[in-house]
Amino acid sequence: MPGLYVHVPFCETKCVYCDFYSVEGMDREAAFLTRCVEEIDRRGDALQAKETFTSVFFGGGTPSLLRAEQLGALLSALRRNFTVAEDAETTVECNPGTVTRGKLEDYRALGVNRLSFGVQSFHDDDLRFLSRIHTAREAEDGIALAREAGFENVNLDLMFSLPGQTPARWLHNLERARALGTTHLSCYSLTVEKGTPLAVMVERGEVRTASEDSDAQLYELTMDTLASWGFAQYEVSNYALEGYACRHNLTYWRHEDYLGFGPSAHSTWKRRRSWNVSSIRAWAEQIAAGGDAFSGGEDLTDAMLRAEHISLRLRSEGIRRSVFQKMFGSDIVDDNPALLRQCEASGLLEISDDFVRLTRKGMLVCEEICLGLT
Amino acid sequence: MSDNSETAIFMQYIRNFCIIAHIDHGKSTLADRLLETTGTITSRDLIVNQVLDDMALEQERGITIKLHAIQMKYQHTDGHEYTLNLIDTPGHVDFTYEVSRSLNACEGAILVVDATQGVEAQTISNLYLAVEAGLEIIPVVNKVDLASAMVDTVSQGIVDLLGCELSDIIPASAKSGIGIQEILAAVVERVPPPQGDSTAPLQALIFDSVFDPYRGAIVYLRVVAGTLKEGDRIMFMNNGKVFEAEEAGVLLMKKRRTGALTAGDVGYMIAGVKDVADTNVGDTITHADRPAAEPLPGYKVVKPMVFSGLYPTASEQYEELRDALAKLKLNDSSILYEPETSVALGFGFRCGFLGLLHMEIVQERLEREFNQTIINTVPNVEYVVVAKESLNRLVIDNPSLMPELGKIDHIEEPFITAQIITPAEYLGSIMKLCMDRRGVYMNTTYIDPTRADVHYEMPLSEIIFDFYDKLKSISRGYASLDYDFKEYRESDLVKLDILLNGEPVDALSSIVHRGKSYDWGRRLCSKLKTLIPRQMFEVVIQAAIGNKVIARDVVKAMRKNVIAKCYGGDISRKRKLLEKQKEGKKRMKQVGNVEIPQEAFLAVLSMEQ
Repeated sequence: MPGLYVHVPFCETKCVYCDFYSVEGMDREAAFLTRCVEEIDRRGDALQAKETFTSVFFGGGTPSLLRAEQLGALLSALRRNFTVAEDAETTVECNPGTVTRGKLEDYRALGVNRLSFGVQSFHDDDLRFLSRIHTAREAEDGIALAREAGFENVNLDLMFSLPGQTPARWLHNLERARALGTTHLSCYSLTVEKGTPLAVMVERGEVRTASEDSDAQLYELTMDTLASWGFAQYEVSNYALEGYACRHNLTYWRHEDYLGFGPSAHSTWKRRRSWNVSSIRAWAEQIAAGGDAFSGGEDLTDAMLRAEHISLRLRSEGIRRSVFQKMFGSDIVDDNPALLRQCEASGLLEISDDFVRLTRKGMLVCEEICLGLT
Repeated sequence: MSDNSETAIFMQYIRNFCIIAHIDHGKSTLADRLLETTGTITSRDLIVNQVLDDMALEQERGITIKLHAIQMKYQHTDGHEYTLNLIDTPGHVDFTYEVSRSLNACEGAILVVDATQGVEAQTISNLYLAVEAGLEIIPVVNKVDLASAMVDTVSQGIVDLLGCELSDIIPASAKSGIGIQEILAAVVERVPPPQGDSTAPLQALIFDSVFDPYRGAIVYLRVVAGTLKEGDRIMFMNNGKVFEAEEAGVLLMKKRRTGALTAGDVGYMIAGVKDVADTNVGDTITHADRPAAEPLPGYKVVKPMVFSGLYPTASEQYEELRDALAKLKLNDSSILYEPETSVALGFGFRCGFLGLLHMEIVQERLEREFNQTIINTVPNVEYVVVAKESLNRLVIDNPSLMPELGKIDHIEEPFITAQIITPAEYLGSIMKLCMDRRGVYMNTTYIDPTRADVHYEMPLSEIIFDFYDKLKSISRGYASLDYDFKEYRESDLVKLDILLNGEPVDALSSIVHRGKSYDWGRRLCSKLKTLIPRQMFEVVIQAAIGNKVIARDVVKAMRKNVIAKCYGGDISRKRKLLEKQKEGKKRMKQVGNVEIPQEAFLAVLSMEQ
């Protein structure tokens, strides 16, 4: 079932590795809120969606920079324009350096029931390298505040394959996360994105990225460690205790529809994907002018849908053969028998009557298998 | 010889000459300077680049691949105006025969030697060809104005080589314009005028031909005897084909139609010839109705020395590649090709080239001019396999066609005579290199006290890979090489196969000397290991002779390839990335479950020795 997303494009400072759209400082905060409510209202009118939305996600940027009443205004707009399920998963991404107990309690009162903390590391030198605005201690405090404010469903984002990161240092991060009682973990391998300061540092030779072997080793360590603690891996980088998988992100990986609001947000609705312009100013001007804020879009053909379905499903719960058959008119196993059977024989894939699913070993080479199947 | 006084008077004011020089010794610069000094071109024309090299490839390589000619008018101090025809010659060992034909169109040659470098093997070999053709040699020491010029030593070398007087040598600097007037004067004074009877049966030597899509073959020729007029029915004496001469003229910066060419003239002819293969370099043109008794001597069919498979990267481009080759052959009749099939690469062509450089040129032209992405297999020479019992001789230009070992009595391979000229200090290392390449030492002579001229007989297969590069590197660029086919000789050769995950890849097979096969196999495996990227599954590389595996290497399976983040805003981008990567994979050949990049098929060429 579909989900709703709001992109809050503000950060105190930008982190060196991040390529999500955001601006430093809150100068345009008021304009953002006004225009975002306008955008939600306008799209609500235009779509007249009958579907029930089962998740709301505030991402960024740093949504936790918003005061509770600001967040409340956006939530109200969403609820008055779309049918949002009573028990919808409602997540706010938080930077540990921006939360107070009072703010979190107010979020909770608005119906926010899940927090996702961008922690990245519990080592201060790592945090400085990543140009995070918080210390390890502040991260721990922030999560403690979340607990005190009554949040039980808490995710931490952590990053591995940082320059010079040893298995021991990484394991320490996982252990801290567990000790803090988190129910969900997103563990990302550091990716050097084009156009980021990190990319420049790597280009200049100031930063050395991890080797493929060491990256793979840390990834395997993550999968094994978290599995032993009862965290099920349900996507390449995501692990949850039972019942805590992120409903909203599953919308993406199950290839379901979603609506996005705010600068740079993407939407996929009835085989049409569109994306908002990645500039708060251009976005606000377009909305103020009475239109939408799309800067591009595409109608998804069967071939595109098929490729996306395979790539999204493969990295998460696996391809359901019956669903695939219904959608694309063929059995995925019949389409690529040699490759799939070879991957199965090599322990990269599990093929059952209704599923084609990556094994732990297969997760490591997910894109390679995708390439073979699409 | 001439009894036609009118023609003789005309011919008295014609000089046909060429320039012999090693690459980079200043041939093109000198040619430009002559054209400029005679007013044939302005210095503004020259800003673009040296005039005689008009193929982009030639300019990049600094090698004149194709022959051209140009006419200049020169006002001599004796008060007469002379017509000087400069005929260009290629400067690479792959094109020795073409050089010899160009020389035969001349009466004189300017020998250009770089004052900082001295005489090189290529120069000597072309010089011998010129002397053999009876040309008057005008020695020029070029670049005399450079600080590193060794004018005396180099001049002495030339005296020893030519047996001329020191005073015959013209010091020059084509770059600074020094000695240019002296060279022009010497061409008039020392090169004899052409001779020949303009009323005799026509004999015109073809020294080049190029293809024009609208006009057909444009034949560059030297009239030796008789007169060629537009409207004449002409015949190529080699194949007896008859055409009508539509246009004849001389070659200035552009073609200038004159309607006729007579004995002594250098010019062009267009005769509606659709196929340049009919206009072979060295062939004689005569009149169909009044043919000459004999063709001019020295004609020979150029035979390819090096063979390689050319395959389209994507099998559906086979037809395109066939068309491209056909078009290329219109321009370069020395390429031979015929269809062949490879288990690994599918449908393609076996192509014959004059040499390795020629092969590279063809490959580059196919890619640049015809937009083909091709896989070029390891080049090899042509072997003669003599069968047991029947002693039938089978000619093999593709290692994968080699019969089973049990059916072979012996194998023969082409040997060449190599001439290497080197500063004496590198002689030891060069002799070691030649021995490593199975060379048989013949003799050494000294051009001057510091420069040796060494002769070896060597298998051609040992030369075609990286011999020239090695030679250059151990001699710091000073040694030079020239070679000539000698004969076929029996050798202890074996076929070395490469297997990937147990599957033989026919396009990677090679024929090597038994004594070197283990080392060769080991190095080839380790080179392939660096060229084949990590893939989803481990790739085992084996080298084998018959059923016996002699070397093995492994490309370990890919450890990790997964995108860490994929959320709502990433889906389109990720799909596009996948599409792009799939495109990239199309450039690889799938053999069994192994993806082989293009470069791997030429691994042998980049192997560490």
